[in-house]
This record gives sequence, structure tokens and C-alpha cells, in this order.
Amino acid sequence: MSSRALAGADLAIGAPVAHLELDGVWAVDPAAGREGPADLVVEEGVLADLEWHKSSGARRGRGRTTSDGQRHGLVVAPGFVDLHAHFREPGFEDAETILTGQAAAAHGGFTTVCLMPNTEPPIDEAPTLRTVLARAAESGIPVRVLAWGAATRRREGKGMAELGDLAEAGAIGYSDDGAPIPVGLLRNVLAYAGMLGRVVADHAEDRELTSGAEANEGLIGTILGLKGWPRSAEESVIARDIAILVDVLGSDSSAARLHLTHVSTAGGIDLVRRAKAAGLPVTCDVTPHHLALTDEWLAGARRWSWQAWQDGPDRDGSGAPTANPWAGDALAGPPYDPALKVNPPLRTPSDAIALLAGLRDGTVDAIATDHAPHTLVDKEVEFGLAANGISGIETALGIVLVAVEAGKVSLLRAVEALTVGPARVLGPAGVPAPALEVGRLADLVLFDPADGWLVSESALSSRGKNSPLLGRSLPGRVLLTVGAGRLAYRDPDLA
Amino acid sequence: MPSPVAEREILSADEIRRALVRIAHEIVEKHGGTDDLALVGVQRRGVPLAYRISASIADHERVTVPVGAIDITFYRDDLSMVAHQPVVKATDLPFDPSGLTIVLVDDVLYTGRTARAAMDALMDFGRPRAIRLAVLVDRGHRELPIRADHVGKNVPTSREEVIKVRLRELDGMDEVVLHRLAEGDRP
Amino acid sequence: MKAQTERVAGDAGAAVEPGAAVTGTVGPGAHHEHEVWRHRHILDVDDFTIDEIELVMATAAEMKEILSRPIKKVPTLRGTSVTIIFWEASTRTRVSFEVAAKNLSADVVNIAAQASSVTKGESLVDTIRTIEALGADMIVMRHGTSGAPYLAAEHFSGHVLNGGDGWHAHPTQALLDLYTMREHLPEGTVAGRKVVILGDVLHSRVARSNIWTLTKSGVDLWLCGPATLLRGFERWAGATIPGSATFTVTSDIERALEGADVVMALRIQKERQESGLLPPLREYTARFALTRERLALASPDALVMHPGPMNEGLEIMPDVATGTQSVITDQVTNGVAVRMALLFLVSGVRDVE
Repeated sequence: MSSRALAGADLAIGAPVAHLELDGVWAVDPAAGREGPADLVVEEGVLADLEWHKSSGARRGRGRTTSDGQRHGLVVAPGFVDLHAHFREPGFEDAETILTGQAAAAHGGFTTVCLMPNTEPPIDEAPTLRTVLARAAESGIPVRVLAWGAATRRREGKGMAELGDLAEAGAIGYSDDGAPIPVGLLRNVLAYAGMLGRVVADHAEDRELTSGAEANEGLIGTILGLKGWPRSAEESVIARDIAILVDVLGSDSSAARLHLTHVSTAGGIDLVRRAKAAGLPVTCDVTPHHLALTDEWLAGARRWSWQAWQDGPDRDGSGAPTANPWAGDALAGPPYDPALKVNPPLRTPSDAIALLAGLRDGTVDAIATDHAPHTLVDKEVEFGLAANGISGIETALGIVLVAVEAGKVSLLRAVEALTVGPARVLGPAGVPAPALEVGRLADLVLFDPADGWLVSESALSSRGKNSPLLGRSLPGRVLLTVGAGRLAYRDPDLA
Repeated sequence: MPSPVAEREILSADEIRRALVRIAHEIVEKHGGTDDLALVGVQRRGVPLAYRISASIADHERVTVPVGAIDITFYRDDLSMVAHQPVVKATDLPFDPSGLTIVLVDDVLYTGRTARAAMDALMDFGRPRAIRLAVLVDRGHRELPIRADHVGKNVPTSREEVIKVRLRELDGMDEVVLHRLAEGDRP
Repeated sequence: MKAQTERVAGDAGAAVEPGAAVTGTVGPGAHHEHEVWRHRHILDVDDFTIDEIELVMATAAEMKEILSRPIKKVPTLRGTSVTIIFWEASTRTRVSFEVAAKNLSADVVNIAAQASSVTKGESLVDTIRTIEALGADMIVMRHGTSGAPYLAAEHFSGHVLNGGDGWHAHPTQALLDLYTMREHLPEGTVAGRKVVILGDVLHSRVARSNIWTLTKSGVDLWLCGPATLLRGFERWAGATIPGSATFTVTSDIERALEGADVVMALRIQKERQESGLLPPLREYTARFALTRERLALASPDALVMHPGPMNEGLEIMPDVATGTQSVITDQVTNGVAVRMALLFLVSGVRDVE
């Protein structure tokens, strides 16, 4: 990409992209099922031309910058879609606002974000939803913001929220995220939502089993003296939700759809796999941190999940493999980092490996960030008292690329899970399938896999600096994000 | 480890032996006998030296002067050395020093800080009538107003030099050598 | 595990090799010898080498010698300010640390945080910053949340000693327990001895820290208690941790006590029944209390230990607690010596950043 490719170099955020020419970039278009070298032109905000190079069997080369300042090996993909993020407005603006959230999303390559309703007031009625959408539209940053409506009133689990009104106001689906939808109501919510053509996303957690829990129940939690978060708390709820869905499909609404968000356990993925094999309308997403980080990090390990696996997993008493950071020299960072405290908790490498396998084989429909910004006050405390959540929308691409570079997932599949997959989960109530389609308003991200960036408080646009990757370099510097034909983000060093 | 450029012998085994015999005589002479006299060796190498001096006194006076040992680690005024020499050796005073003339015995007298620490330590055990100091080598560069009553050999040195005392009880041989510190190890 | 502030400068993210010489950070004229002691803080014993444990034992022995003198004091930490702050109630450990620090001539400030208006409502980090601003060189702390001392160490430029954090670690207790065992066992060694830790292992920082020190010392270690209170420890026993031997986890108290050389009883708290982990505690006493009859299964010279405070009649019978085999009061005495040793050893470690 040359320095003249972006005409009108001092383009402001929000301005339409008058002219953009990308020659010889690696285009990834999961909707078309293809990737390869291509030339691309955006004119007046519209993707005017896309020409795939003839060379078949081309392999993506290593990115590099030649002596004339030209970058090579850049990747262009449709703008990413985040199914699950928290922008904290209204009510918790200290941690994030819709504006700062959009800026963070754009920095991360996301042009569409679906917000969870656990704000204050929660998004459990139409006026609140409309306010949120309006704030997003007037922010000046062209990141499309959609919202999940609360499933129950005030997310308290005591009665259904005004699901119909929420749908009319633009809700893409329903969730009480942060909390599970209680068993009694889930049946009815699934049925009603099916009637409205919306998907229900459940946060699968049995709160009686997780009362006071601090870390995954496993070797690390035992040694570190942290109260265990058993897998059964997630797996039992997933199994139960699927069983309830079956009843709904049989008796209430054949259009009901269940989405399980931030699945973290191998058992959970397995349940989804079997449900899909049985033809049930079940989908799921996983977070980047559950794919690549593990509970070892709580003890101070700083290696990726597949590295912990490869370094020779131990077997625990039941014969199941378990990582043991005391066995190698893996304890490289401080233990008990509150930035690692998240719900669901980081699990063992064998869970992460199962999640990666689920991503490869299609069991996992989408990678969703569960971007959860928090203030220093809420995070810089004793581990057990820290708020749950990782600020992750800006580091998602980097983590995914690390996995791609390690051969754990193909670039095409990963981009699919960030674009087409989420769109499919939402269905008609969501967004059209992201694609590099000539004639459409340009919605794309351009990044350099070979150029890393240092994750630091100043580098993060989000107000939430609670990332366990602070101080680390990640690959995949985002150079340009274009949303609906307008500039959403531009790297400051880009000429 | 500092790599010595060259070691120069200051005292041979015989010279050490003669020095200790002379010191033993001097101690008895200065004290006017052996009554209420005791030797306290400063860990580490002061201790075998104290035993040897006591044996020498026994040879010519037919009296055994009691010997104790003190470790001055807890009395040092420079804690930053702890990380490198944290190992504490035994303090063993089989007698109450109160009312006695105690001769502190050490291998090298340098800045005087070890001797000062040794006096502080000793006085936590009781109130000696007098404290004297006997050293095998005095290398100068005093930082405190301390002087030795009995000296085996005076060896003027520079700060880049190191005196190493080797004793057969601990090192398998008797000798005192001088060497220069390598570039990177100098203060 | 190391706090961030214990890592060698310029080595961001890399662990220090055990025993490696640390260069460039020592005082003038120092020889760059093989450094035996690298701990600026005492947070946990999981990363103590055998050499370091031996050093603590030897230093504690010298400290015991000081405690036998007419003047039980040395000037080693004169001018050093030690602040003891306990967020969890404890008289025994708090006073033990205070005595230890004073014996080394340190200036001591002792704060019982649950009662202090200085710390009410204040975050841990703010409290540490305040203590630093007040001139403390060392902090000794006890806190109810696992990991709290690591957070404190991130924000304090001096030394942090952990007097117990949540369920996680109680390093000074494990070291004084080891010292006491070696003091009483034949040949002064624990290697090959059968040691049983009996009781609420799940919630016990004493148990966790003892697992590290005892397995590193070659002990035949047994953990015994009701299944709900042994949760997760079978998995730990099965993990291969270099430098540590494995241990046995069982609810069969007779098998555990048979031929034991040391029996350490742990305190059981009433909350365990209330939180649904156990039936009424009467049943715990019937099945797991250390009674005279059960103690008879152990070796005739077996040592009886308890970290305190004891619930006599609940987890340990009064006649056993005060019987001839009990070394519980020695644990208390040795606690002062071991804490003196640790305060001394960390004092010499300079700020490595």
C-alpha cells in the first residue's frame, strides 16, 4: 500500500472515504469463501472495485516494509462484528462511554458492535434502547452499534421485559448477560423471542455453584488458595438450556433460537457440538481470552494456551491433562493479576484447546470479545474483590493472529468467526453478512500482520485499561477501519 | 568471582607460626599473667587463630586460657552485604566476659568496623574489664579510631588490593597472600 | 511466586534462575559471589530452594541463641521501621512479629486494621501508600484475601512479609513448623519421616505452605480430613512439581496416623458447617479429632503440633494438646526466632530495580 493510496491524507474520523486504493493486499472474504492477493478500490465510500489476482494457490507472504516506505503483506477483511461488548453507558461512564467504546472498537477493527444491556438503567425498555442507539449514531464515529435487550425486567429474573417493544426499537435479541436467565423464565423467553424472530443469548452460570468463586476450580486455584469456579456451573446450565429449547421447539415456537455466549469449558463446547449434530438451532461464541489465556496466568505464567499444552501436560488424578507452570520455567509475571479476573474464569489449557478445536470445526460460530472495561478503583484491589472483566475489544485481533501464526486456526476461518459467523447468529434481525462486495458501502479493516504494537494504557482508546496483556506486543497493527463508507480509525503513523 | 591477576605471598606458614607465638607472648606480657584472661575469636578465621594462640600460651605458661567465638553478622553497620554473606556462623561464649580482659582475635584489621561490631557484640554479653585486639595482619585504611594491640604483620595496601588469609583448619593450608582485584570488581 | 518488584531489572518477564548471581545492584566493594539469598519479600515458600530453607534454619538457630542471652537484642535492624498491619484478627502471630522485630532493634508500629479508623474504607493500595509515606521500611501483613501481599508488594518500595493471606500461604508458619520438627526429631532431619496434616486442609494456608516446605525436604507427607475439605488436593498430589515429592491424600484417619512421626492438627471453624461443607461439627470431632486413642496409632515419640489458636475439644483433645508429645509451645518460641531470621535475611536485599 503506498502513501498516496489514501487521497486526502488528513481525513477526519467520520468523513466519507473519497478515494482509497489498495494494491496487492491479501483480501479475506469469508462470505465468498475465498482469500488471496487482490486490488481494491473504494470510491465515495463505496467499494467500487475488487480484483482478485489470477495466481491460484498463492500463499500469504510475510508482511514487510520495503526501503521506499511501502508496506507489503497487508490484509484487508470486512469490518469485524462483535456480538458481545459492554460500553457502560448509561450509568457507569467512568469505565467507558458509547463514544470511547466506539473509538476502541474501531481501533480493534470492529465496525459493528452489539451491546449488552447491563447498564444503569438496564436496556429493558424501548426508550432506553433508543437513547443508546441515538448516542451511538451522533457520536461521529462510524461504528454501527446494536443492542441486546434485557430478557427480564431490570435483569432481575422475575418477569419478562417488554420484548416486543424492544424488538420494535431495534433490539437484535435478548440477554440478561452478567446473569443467567432463570430456569423458570427461560422457557417463556425462548418461545416469545422465537415468535419475534430474535435469538436469546444466555450467560450460562449456576450462581449457587459459583457463590464466592474466584478462579477456575483446578490445580492453579487449589495451590493459589482461591475459591473454585466449577465447570459444572457452566456445563449444567448449557445442558439444561438445550433441553428447554427442545421443549420450546416442540410445543411453543419452531422459530426459537438459543445462543450461548462466552462458552469457556470443553464440556460446554461438546454439548453445543452434539446439539448442532442433532440439528438444533443452537449457536455459541467464545472470547479471545478464553482461547489463548489460561488459569496458569493467575500463578504468573505468561504463555499461550497451546504452549502450555505443548510443553508437556501433566495428568491429574483422573488422568486428564492439566498444565503445571511450576514444572517448567513458565512463571514469568506477577501472580494474582486482577486484570485476569473474569466471568467465566480463565480455564485450563485443555479447555482452551477444546475451544480452538470447536472454532476450527464450526462448533463455535463466532469470536466475541465480551469487552468489559473497568475503572482502576474497581480493579486495582485484592484479586478476590476485583470486578470481573477484561477490556478486550482492541486486543482481539492481535490474540487471534497469534493463534493463526501458531497454526491453531486458519486466517480465513478466524475472520469468518469475526464477521459472517456473528451475522449468522443474529439472523435477519441483525446485520447483512459482512463481505467485500462491490457496490456496497465499504465496511472493512486493513491491518499489517507483520507490524506489532505495544499494548499500553496510552495505546488503548478504551477507558478500560484492565487488560492482562499490558506491556506485551501483539501482531496485527490496524491501519485503517472504514465503517459504512466513512473513516472510523486510522493509524497515526500512516502517511 | 574476582579473577586475581597474581597472588603475592605476604606470610608463609612458618611466618604465621612465629607471629602467633610472638603475639601469644605479648598478650601474657601485657596482661602480666593469665588470670582473668580470655580470648574471643571473630568468625570466621579469628576463631582458629584464637585457639592456636591459646594453645601457644598453654605451651609456655602451662595454663589454658578459655576461648570463645562470636559472629558479628547481626552487629554489622552495612546491611547491603547481607545478601552476599547472609550465612550466620555460631556465637559461642562458654564464659561470662564480665570482669575479664578479653582479647579479640581476628585475621585482618582493615577499616575497623568488624572490630567495632565485635566489641558491641561482646558487650551485649556482659561488661569486660578490658578489651584488647590481636590481628594477624593490619592492612591500614582505618575508618574508625581503632587500633590493634597486637599485630602479626603490618602490610600497607591500596584499596584495589585484597588480602586473603588461608588457615589449615578451614582452607587446608597456612598462608597470607595479596592480590589485586580485577577491573570490574574494584570499588 | 515472585512479585513484579522482585524481578531483576532488565529482565522484564523472565524468571531469575535459582542461585544465579545478581550483578550490578550491590554496594561498593562487594564481591560478585554466588548469591544464596534472593528474596526481597517473604510472600510464599513455593519458590524457596533447599539451600534457602537451610539458610533460614541456620539463621533461626542463631536467633535462638540470641533469645537465650541475658540481653535478647542485637542492633541489626536499628533505624529500620517495621509496620505490622493485620486485616485479620490474630494476637499470637502479630505479637510474635513485633517481638521479633524489636529483638532486632527495629522500630515497630503495630496496626490492627479491623479496628483502625486509618484504614476503614480505605483501599489496600491506599493503605500501603500511606504506610510508605509514614516511613516504613518493612511491612508485615495478614489479610483475608489470597494474593493480597502481592498487590502490596507492587506498591511498596520496601520489604513485604506475609503473615498469612486468605487460604493461600503462611510462609513463616511453615518455616517455624519445619524448624520445630527438626529440633525434636532424631538426627535433626525430617527426611523420610511420616508427617500427617489433619483437618480442614481446603481452607488452610498453613497446610499449603507446609506442603511446599515438607515435600521439598523429603518428607513422607499425608493430608487427612473429610473429603469436602480435601477438595482439589488429590490433583495437586498428582502434579509433578520439580524439587517436590508427592504426597498422599486420604480420609482414612487410621491409615494416615499409623506410624506417623509428626501429627499436625489444623483448626476447624464453625463456618464450615454453616456453609454446607460438613454436617454438625460433633461428627467432625467423632471422626477426625486428634484424641489420645488416635494418637496411639502414631509412633510413640510422634510430635503433636498445631498452628493455633486451638479449639480444644473440637479438633484436638486438651490432654493431647498439653501432653508430653506436644511441641505446640515450642512452635511459638521458634516462631520468634524464625521471624527474626526472615526479617534479617530480607533486610539485606536491595531494591533490584
